Amino acid sequence: MIEVSGLTKSYEDFQALKGISFKVARGEIVGFLGPNGAGKTTTMKILTCYMPQTAGTVTIDGKDINTDGLAVRERMGYLPESTPLYTDMIVYDYLQHVATVRGVPKGRIRERIKAACEMCGIVDRIGQVIGTLSKGYKQRVGLAQALIHDPDILILDEPTSGLDPNQIVEIRNLIKQLGQDRTIILSTHNLPEVMATCSRILIVHKGRLVADGTAAQLEEREAENERVEVLVHGVDPQLVRAELGALPNVRRAELTVSSEPNVAALELEAPRGGDLRSQVFKRVVEKHWELLGLTRLELDLEGLFRKLTREV
Amino acid sequence: MTASTAAPASTDAAGRPMKRSAGKNVWALATRELGFYFNSPIAYIVITLFLVVSGAMLFVFNVPDAARDFFAVNEASLRGLFGPTSPEGFGGIPLLFVFLVPAVTMRLIAEEKRTGTIELLVTWPITDAQIVLGKYLGSVLFVGIMLLATVPLAFIVGGLGSMDAGLVIGGYLGLFLLGAAYAALGLMTSAWTRNQIVAYLVGALICGLFYFIDGMLGLLWDGARDFFAALSFKAHFQNVARGVVDLRDILFYASFIAVSLVVTVMSLQARNWKK
Repeated sequence: MIEVSGLTKSYEDFQALKGISFKVARGEIVGFLGPNGAGKTTTMKILTCYMPQTAGTVTIDGKDINTDGLAVRERMGYLPESTPLYTDMIVYDYLQHVATVRGVPKGRIRERIKAACEMCGIVDRIGQVIGTLSKGYKQRVGLAQALIHDPDILILDEPTSGLDPNQIVEIRNLIKQLGQDRTIILSTHNLPEVMATCSRILIVHKGRLVADGTAAQLEEREAENERVEVLVHGVDPQLVRAELGALPNVRRAELTVSSEPNVAALELEAPRGGDLRSQVFKRVVEKHWELLGLTRLELDLEGLFRKLTREV
Repeated sequence: MTASTAAPASTDAAGRPMKRSAGKNVWALATRELGFYFNSPIAYIVITLFLVVSGAMLFVFNVPDAARDFFAVNEASLRGLFGPTSPEGFGGIPLLFVFLVPAVTMRLIAEEKRTGTIELLVTWPITDAQIVLGKYLGSVLFVGIMLLATVPLAFIVGGLGSMDAGLVIGGYLGLFLLGAAYAALGLMTSAWTRNQIVAYLVGALICGLFYFIDGMLGLLWDGARDFFAALSFKAHFQNVARGVVDLRDILFYASFIAVSLVVTVMSLQARNWKK
């Protein structure tokens, strides 16, 4: 439904995008990931018709954003980076204003405001002046603004930046819920966020797309190693480390911080191939230790991210 | 600017049609601006200031003869509001508007740029022309409300003696046209900067320039006096305020407004030029 090809953007003194191409299908939640200045916001500003690209094309359901901008904008909801809002307005009046400008028919405006406020959890703040709301609530008003016309595409630029952990979880859940029947593109430089919400990840670095796929696919493609976490009860951690670290093929054995008392937590890394877990299990049984946990760590996205976006 | 009415209507995610209407968009933006003025102290401060200064001009400093006040002149006229009618004289609301109208318009676009709300505004499905028209309509309505607030003064003066109704109507029409032209200039300068103070100062400067242009430049170059008078807000206002409504004066203001609004739209679209 969204097709981006060969997108470039030059500002006066530097090239922000150096040819980005990707497609997004209906119903996907795509995470746009990259360090600051990688080109995430630039891409979003082009997608939402805020500013034009230097070269390349973007079509949304076959409609070109440059020649059919109004039709494209009608189907999109957009939450810009720092959630700009008319802070002098009351939440209800603001949403009514947006709904009117967005072309929601008059008879359905109330119903849409109600639905958007319920989805974003701001029903009890509906009579409050936006400027007096906390940052988390402002963010939700921004989301409600993007949702008011029930668009099938949502573009969210850093939707959780500056929120506290509880608010972040709430916004993430909201995004997941919204993504059930919509296409969502969200940008972030926060890895856990992408893993928690997105069905697909695009990593941009210095204006180029360096990776594209689901978290598992990216891991599969990039990672050479398999990692396993072991929790053993009642044994000296150093002994556990020495014993399990001596298993064949294990390249690295590191003690990690255990949340439980008297439990040794160990992270092991071995080249992909055989299943490290069965070796660990056998050795622990031989030693008659109490095994509390044995988990394969699927994703080393952080390592992948660092690898992909390393300064070259 | 794309045609907004001919294109087929889109639908929302549930397939229900959306309504696209240029008039509704413009009106929504205009009422939002009016709402801003009246929800904040700004409207009340500006209107109070305007009434105090207008009242003083009418009753205390009754130009052209500042030595004698309104009652000493002993004539039921609103000349104090409309200013003198001779090409050399200046004052009254036309001069006051040079300082007040840019204060009304300075925030219209500059503030959207400063707070970043412009990014939402221009990504909503409305054209730049609709944005400019909506904001302009809001500010012109506010200028109209300011003028309406002085109408009781006209009734007070009318009650003191016989007053020429034609002069009063002409004067108000002239003031409204003048205020509308100042508002267009103020909106234009507001689109040039993200700083409201800069927008205000440049707006007042340009309004003042076109108010005084015949007096200032005509003084330097006598042969071009008529040419500068044709560009002068004051000269055209004085024509209308005499009670003679000439199409040329109306066209002067209309073309001034049109040019300013077109430049404003182009200034908004300047974001698209840096390719």
